[in-house]
Amino acid sequence: MSTLTEAPPPLRPAATERKAPRSRGRWTPYWLLLPGILWLVVFFALPMIYQASTSVQTGSLEEGYKVTWHFATYWDALGEYWPQFLRSVFYAAAATVLCLLLGYPLAYLIAFRAGRWRNLIMILVIAPFFTSFLIRTLAWKTILADNGPVVGALNSLHLLDVTSWLGWTAGDRVLATPLAVVCGLTYNFLPFMILPLYTSLERIDGRLHEAAGDLYAKPFTTFRKVTFPLSMPGVVSGTLLTFIPATGDYVNAELLGSTDTRMIGNVIQTQFLRILDYPTAAALSFILMAAILFMVTFYIRRSGTEDLV
Amino acid sequence: MNTTDSSGDVRLVGIGKTYGSFTAVHPLDLTVPQGSFFALLGASGCGKTTTLRMIAGLEEPTSGSVHLGEQEVTRLPPYKRPVNTVFQSYALFPHLDIFENVAFGLRRRGIRSVKKQVEEMLDLVQLGEQARKKPHQLSGGQQQRVAVARALINHPKVLLLDEPLGALDLKLRRQMQLELKRIQTEVGITFIHVTHDQEEAMTMADTVAVMDAGRVEQLGPPTELYENPRTTFVANFLGTSNLIEAEVDTRGGGDIVLDAGGGKLVLPEARCSASARTGDKVLVGIRPEKISLTHVDDAGEIPEGRNRVTGTIADASFIGVSTQYVVDSAVCPEFAVYVQNVERDGRLVPGADVVLHWSPAHTFGLDAAQSLLAGTTGSAGVESVEEEAA
Repeated sequence: MSTLTEAPPPLRPAATERKAPRSRGRWTPYWLLLPGILWLVVFFALPMIYQASTSVQTGSLEEGYKVTWHFATYWDALGEYWPQFLRSVFYAAAATVLCLLLGYPLAYLIAFRAGRWRNLIMILVIAPFFTSFLIRTLAWKTILADNGPVVGALNSLHLLDVTSWLGWTAGDRVLATPLAVVCGLTYNFLPFMILPLYTSLERIDGRLHEAAGDLYAKPFTTFRKVTFPLSMPGVVSGTLLTFIPATGDYVNAELLGSTDTRMIGNVIQTQFLRILDYPTAAALSFILMAAILFMVTFYIRRSGTEDLV
Repeated sequence: MNTTDSSGDVRLVGIGKTYGSFTAVHPLDLTVPQGSFFALLGASGCGKTTTLRMIAGLEEPTSGSVHLGEQEVTRLPPYKRPVNTVFQSYALFPHLDIFENVAFGLRRRGIRSVKKQVEEMLDLVQLGEQARKKPHQLSGGQQQRVAVARALINHPKVLLLDEPLGALDLKLRRQMQLELKRIQTEVGITFIHVTHDQEEAMTMADTVAVMDAGRVEQLGPPTELYENPRTTFVANFLGTSNLIEAEVDTRGGGDIVLDAGGGKLVLPEARCSASARTGDKVLVGIRPEKISLTHVDDAGEIPEGRNRVTGTIADASFIGVSTQYVVDSAVCPEFAVYVQNVERDGRLVPGADVVLHWSPAHTFGLDAAQSLLAGTTGSAGVESVEEEAA
């Protein structure tokens, strides 16, 4: 016992010496976090709170708005604009599927087959970003113009009759129809699909393809059972990066669509900037956010990405 | 194991592979009989893996053909060949659990009830408990066994192993060597094993083909390759050899008498792979453990008829079971001699004059037109030093 009680004292000075630099170091992570937290507070949390309070205010522009906890705004907004909500989700989903169908083969090609052309193709994928979003979308106005090549080609193949019958186009026009808006969305968000897909495909060990072939998997089976499952993280992040901004987008519907193709983004923009009905605009923004959050959570749960390596 | 059945024979006829101007494998003929454990041994870049991949169908040969039993498979894609591969670093499917990894081949061939077979196979490799784990949750040795199980469950005619033990530590590697050998004896499938580890090849394989620069240098059972190498590469790559430059003096009675720095050495004709007319240069080889070391004072006690070389001990290192000596002699600057520690002669210390002697029956003769250093790690070291200097 005596040895036990005598032993600790010499340890003590060493222990305190050690403690000093540690307690200083303990705050370092928080100092490093500070700029990020400040940014989030100023540009995310505060605006959110402000919008949330706006959404439950009543009043008018002349008399000023007051917080009256008027939650009915949400119900009224949803009741009036649910078609635009549905349309947004539908257009965004269509654009996401198109992006996946167009982007996957291209990402696959860049990752596995492009060889020395890989960098060039990557640059071509990213190149449109060097031009403004607006100008690129405006360019589609020319591409889809009534006397433009696309309408001409579709017409001579009598495909416009099919798309009109489906309700995607109207008469002899492509511009100002759902097809035009979905085309614009697809075009604008395609790189956001290709880049994550490429990243996850490129990470797949080529020997896994060989191993699958060696174990009697035909090339397509190899794709179905090995390549595609392993690229799921890319598919999930690509679809999210496409679907989320596409749902809230209003530029494509504004420039390429008509009053019949208005998306929820257009409604919010009009409410804020033209009608100046701030509570409704704020409520719509929150409904959109909640809807996206709900859909995305459901999607991530279902795709089970946390299980993937 | 039916040795007369030839359906599992692997026959390579003039098979070769070139990449542009680089020849990875020079056209070679090779037959691996059904049920044998065959090793392709060589340093990295010698063409052994390319040869294996051509059998698997992962690489298309530039020339020649591949036959499995009676069937020619040269143009068949890998998924149509009755051959399975254990890949270097295993290539297990990371998104599937161990059970599904092993069941993969069965499922691709449309077999519905795989449970019993997979469980039996996992038991064979002692991984029954791990069936529902993902590959990254297993240790290297366990992953390696999954890779073997995944290939073996398909009952291939030939199992190809591409340096399957390379990623394991030494102790585990020894254990897995025995394990693989046990499995091979149990299932009786032809194994073709690619390795750069000469000890691994010798302990596991019935037949070893030593490859260098896209050519098979020598092929045979491990003991024959070791005891009677036919090229300097094989002599140096498998273990250590002392090589002495000598000139043919006379021949007769099944023996060749050679002149090496004034001394006479005897070499059985059957153990000489070079042409040996009088006046020809021949490299005389002897393994370090075949040599006896006698202090020069006792030289009279050495029996007649043994090959002798005199020299001075330059270095001696005691390593427990044996003592390894380096002896300076006129015919060979660094003669390696391994002496078992039975009765140690206290006079055998560096600086002592000694006589090295060995039985002519252990001597082998090689063509003197080859590099003395081919296949030694030393020669590779010299090259890299030269490259750095350049």
